[in-house]
Amino acid sequence: MISQVFILSSKGDHLIYKDFRGEAGSDVINVFYEKVTALPGDQPPVVMSHGDLHFVHVRQGGLYWVATTTADSSPFSLIEFLNRLACLVQDYCGTLTEKAVQMNFALIYELLDEVVDYGYVQSMSSDVLKNFIQTEAVSPRPFSLFQLSNVGLFGAETQQSKVAPSSAASRPIQSSREQGGKSEIFVDVIERMSVVIGSNGVLMKADVEGEIKVKCYMPNCSEMRIGLNEEFSIGKSQLRGYGAAVRVDEVSFHQAVKLDEFDNNRILRLSPSQGEVKNTLSIH
Amino acid sequence: MTDSKYFTTTKKGEIFELKAELNSDKKEKKKEAVKKVIASMTVGKDVSALFPDVVNCMQTDNLELKKLVYLYLMNYAKSQPDMAIMAVNTFVKDCEDLNPLIRALAVRTMGCIRVDKITEYLCEPLRKCLKDEDPYVRKTAAVCVAKLHDINAQLVEDQGFLDTLKDLISDSNPMVVANAVAALSEIAESHPNSNLLDLNPQTINKLLTALNECTEWGQIFILDCLANYTPRDDRESQSICERVTPRLSHANSAVVLSAVKVLMKFMEMLPKDLDYYGTLLKKLAPPLVTLLSAEPELQYVALRNINLIVQRRPEILKHEMKVFFVKYNDPIYVKLEKLDIMIRLASQANIAQVLAELKEYATEVDVDFVRKAVRAIGRCAIKVEQSAERCVSTLLDLIQTKVNYVVQEAIVVIKDIFRKYPNKYESVIATLCEHLESLDEPEARAAMIWIVGEYAERIDNADELLESFLEGFHDESTQVQLQLLTAIVKLFLKKPTETQELVQQVLSLATQDSDNPDLRDRGYIYWRLLSTDPVAAKEVVLAEKPLISEETDLIEPTLLEELICHIGTLASVYHKPPSAFVEGSRGVQHKRLAGSAGSGESVESPDTGSAAGVSEAPPAVIPSQGDLLGDLLNLDLTPPTATGPPPAAAPGMQLGAMDLLGGGLDSLLGGDIGGSPAMGAGFGAPPAAMPASFNAPVSGGLDDLFDLGGGVGMTMGSYTPPKTVWLPAMKAKGLEISGVFVRRSGVIQMEMTLSNKAMSVMSDFAIQFNRNSFGLAPAGPLQILTPLSPNQTIEAALPLSTVGPVMKMEPLNNLQVAVKNNIDVFYFSCQYPISMLFLEDGKMERQVFLATWKDIPNENESQFQIKDCHLNSDAASNKLQGSNIFTIAKRTVEGQDMLYQSMKLTNGIWVLAELRVQAGNPNYTISLKCRAPEVSQCVFQNYEAVLKN
Repeated sequence: MISQVFILSSKGDHLIYKDFRGEAGSDVINVFYEKVTALPGDQPPVVMSHGDLHFVHVRQGGLYWVATTTADSSPFSLIEFLNRLACLVQDYCGTLTEKAVQMNFALIYELLDEVVDYGYVQSMSSDVLKNFIQTEAVSPRPFSLFQLSNVGLFGAETQQSKVAPSSAASRPIQSSREQGGKSEIFVDVIERMSVVIGSNGVLMKADVEGEIKVKCYMPNCSEMRIGLNEEFSIGKSQLRGYGAAVRVDEVSFHQAVKLDEFDNNRILRLSPSQGEVKNTLSIH
Repeated sequence: MTDSKYFTTTKKGEIFELKAELNSDKKEKKKEAVKKVIASMTVGKDVSALFPDVVNCMQTDNLELKKLVYLYLMNYAKSQPDMAIMAVNTFVKDCEDLNPLIRALAVRTMGCIRVDKITEYLCEPLRKCLKDEDPYVRKTAAVCVAKLHDINAQLVEDQGFLDTLKDLISDSNPMVVANAVAALSEIAESHPNSNLLDLNPQTINKLLTALNECTEWGQIFILDCLANYTPRDDRESQSICERVTPRLSHANSAVVLSAVKVLMKFMEMLPKDLDYYGTLLKKLAPPLVTLLSAEPELQYVALRNINLIVQRRPEILKHEMKVFFVKYNDPIYVKLEKLDIMIRLASQANIAQVLAELKEYATEVDVDFVRKAVRAIGRCAIKVEQSAERCVSTLLDLIQTKVNYVVQEAIVVIKDIFRKYPNKYESVIATLCEHLESLDEPEARAAMIWIVGEYAERIDNADELLESFLEGFHDESTQVQLQLLTAIVKLFLKKPTETQELVQQVLSLATQDSDNPDLRDRGYIYWRLLSTDPVAAKEVVLAEKPLISEETDLIEPTLLEELICHIGTLASVYHKPPSAFVEGSRGVQHKRLAGSAGSGESVESPDTGSAAGVSEAPPAVIPSQGDLLGDLLNLDLTPPTATGPPPAAAPGMQLGAMDLLGGGLDSLLGGDIGGSPAMGAGFGAPPAAMPASFNAPVSGGLDDLFDLGGGVGMTMGSYTPPKTVWLPAMKAKGLEISGVFVRRSGVIQMEMTLSNKAMSVMSDFAIQFNRNSFGLAPAGPLQILTPLSPNQTIEAALPLSTVGPVMKMEPLNNLQVAVKNNIDVFYFSCQYPISMLFLEDGKMERQVFLATWKDIPNENESQFQIKDCHLNSDAASNKLQGSNIFTIAKRTVEGQDMLYQSMKLTNGIWVLAELRVQAGNPNYTISLKCRAPEVSQCVFQNYEAVLKN
């Protein structure tokens, strides 16, 4: 059960404060900030307590996302909730910055109202929420060098202008509604490699983690198909094909992904809802 | 144009401006104004003055504006209850709006306004909304019942909302079911005894069906609710497990952990040889591993939980060591947790891998982490015996790095390895000594001094080394001072000739110049020991030390069991039971695992080893020097006074003395064993045995000693057996009762020691007896006035009368007792020595005795043998008299002493006895005659007990 939710800037300014159960006053925000800034380095910051009030927080976009609870509730759901909330706010506001949160406070309050009732999380899927949310997002337009670089010299078309700017995917999902026709889908493939090499030059460990992110701006998106390599094999299952195989230890998919064609043809079918969908592949 | 302008600085008269804007006719302007108000509210400004104006904006068909106004209302209604009434009409109207969004919004907001007056108006709309055709409204209404219950519980019950809520469990929409379950669970927690959430196989089935269709958050409520259910048998528990297992692959970690909790709990009920049990174990590992690739915050929480799971069921993750290897970019708190789990999982199979990792960690830059890694190597050595050698060589490599904190940490760890494997790795001492100078932390210094003292005979210049430490004795911390004192005494005992001066010096430093009582007392004990009997001192100081084990850092089994029930909650992150941090009734239910097999094996005293090790010492000391012991005992004992010693003095005082001695020994021996409660118990036996063994060679010096031990018992009147455990903590939810029956100056008392081994406070004690053979009953209530907090022990003496209801028991002296406290009622049975029923006026006239003896028919006579009793007849007679068995006459026939004795029971039954003692023969013969021959067996047992102790 969530007692309160608040969002603080890195300097401790109150951006959003919502009390769900009337179990504690708003003065705890300052208590939290004092605690979190005074924390010594080796102390785990995730869960902190103040009397019988417990703070769970995550940091995203340079902001503190804090939930408090008085009962012995699940820290997993609280952390998961906060992460999802940050994700949702990013979807709705476009970016996740102090400015964006400050500008869209009415929207975020509305979101919080729908997402949590009396401390119980109701629904965090943007599909469901779009039926309820009324407020329009206000999107900040930061000055960006990228946009300048897109303008070719003397208006000439450059190579770059064919590539969407990297900030293209960071805009609110709702604004697409009235912008009308501009139906876009962004597919990001992100890979992270971590390698540990011993001081004697021996490779201790190497692993690669990756994910495919799909961000969809189509108002009513029909089904979409993503094909992966035929040679893609998972775990210890048999190798496929003849080419250089891609072998991953573990894959997990978002719930919107339909896997009926995956086993045979390595095709992911998904009907993305608006906003971000993640497929995480972790590869060793 | 952005909303951020609302946050800009306040001007004077801002409220006034806002007021004007709120009353504007234009919708847009109104909306802007309300937004401004809410922005001020968020940053903590008081805008309650605008209440009436904002409420005026409420009647609008613009949903966005309505939501903003409601937001404001929720915040300020409490401070302006009278004004809030103004809003009621709009609420009631909104509850009947055509738009389900508005209906739900109104119900939701009304529930959040915590004003009593409003709740009255809430009932009708809520009733309608609970039966609304739109599931969105129903699910909102379900939660609203919980809100209302929190404000006015009576109202909710009176209005019958609880029944409606129960019906919603069978709703067609899974979201509604989930909210109804959540609301019911919450309400049920504040009424622990009501069976609101009546979990029976049918509802469970409904819940399991809803589980598949619900949103992830709803699944969490349902799984948490399932965890509270206790299946009837293993088949049901298996079928629930089967249906919960698919949740393990959910993307939401909270769902996964809730499912793990349910499975861990229900697994207890499955027989271990079942195939399914093995399958389930295998299925638990992958989801736990997957959690470790999430965000660091989630990883941390997951690791805290895995830490518990690994302690309870190491088999689940034993092959997954690799995932716990530390990544360079993990935050420090994740690294430390991973390290802990790595050690718990370390085994012979994977130790090479682990050591290579740990060695790598020990060369990192983060000092805290490096220290932990070095400690971890030591813990591996202690845990996995086969790896000890490799660990030691790894540690030596690390010492060679000469990084100051690594060296210090390594020395602390090596000390522990020496304790675990004595006489195995002493060859490394030379290397350690090289680094003596660089040690500046107390713990490392103390460890090094311990090593030097312990192995003084192998270190040629041990005296020089210790002397160098002694120079700055007063600047050292207590830890180092104590260690130095002990080490020098050890050195002296090993090399007495050359170190006399040194030991003098340290003893005077410790006893005269120090104001630390620990140090002073230890100094005095050594001093006395050394001055009275160096041989004994040697045996005490250089005694063999109990080995240390790797189990020291485990969570206590009962706590672990409780924490396993709270997997995936805050308790599992803090590693504390919920009662320690959640106030009030909510959530403070003590949960226990259901399986009985598990709890039986898990509770064992880790202290028995050390207690036994120490208790060998006193008997070894006694024969060699009686005076010394007397001296030592006198040191701490108030001399026994002849006039009425306090009750419970006999066992209490002896234990006290021994305990003190034990405490001293304990710290002499190990320094880190720590005074354990088991220690006292460990000494229970030797003092009881003492008088007997001293009886034969009664001599001047020892007489005092005898008086000290046995004499107290003499004046008291009876032999008091040591307390026995009547009710073990395992059977009584943590309450342990041990006790003894005694008769003191004509009053029968039941002396009990109650200890609380549970996590919660116990109070409201009461006691009752079942009917018994001699009509024993409590003469008053059980006097335990203060509540018993966890780990506390309390003594209670209960006077007994013999006027209670009578029923013959089998055996005759059996007593069934019920003890009640705030937690439950517990039953146990115990046997009392029949001697406590012997009256003080049990001495028969000789003539009467003779007549009675003849009068009782011969078939009532029973004969017994008491073997191995070395008392002469006078001593026996004295002893028995203490228990109100009176010798009436003594006859000597052919070197055989015949004692004629009588005793009288509280119910008026006389027992006559003839005890035959033959000099030189340790076997006595006893004949008992009584009109009620049933008691003979008991009386004989009593004879035996008294004479042999």
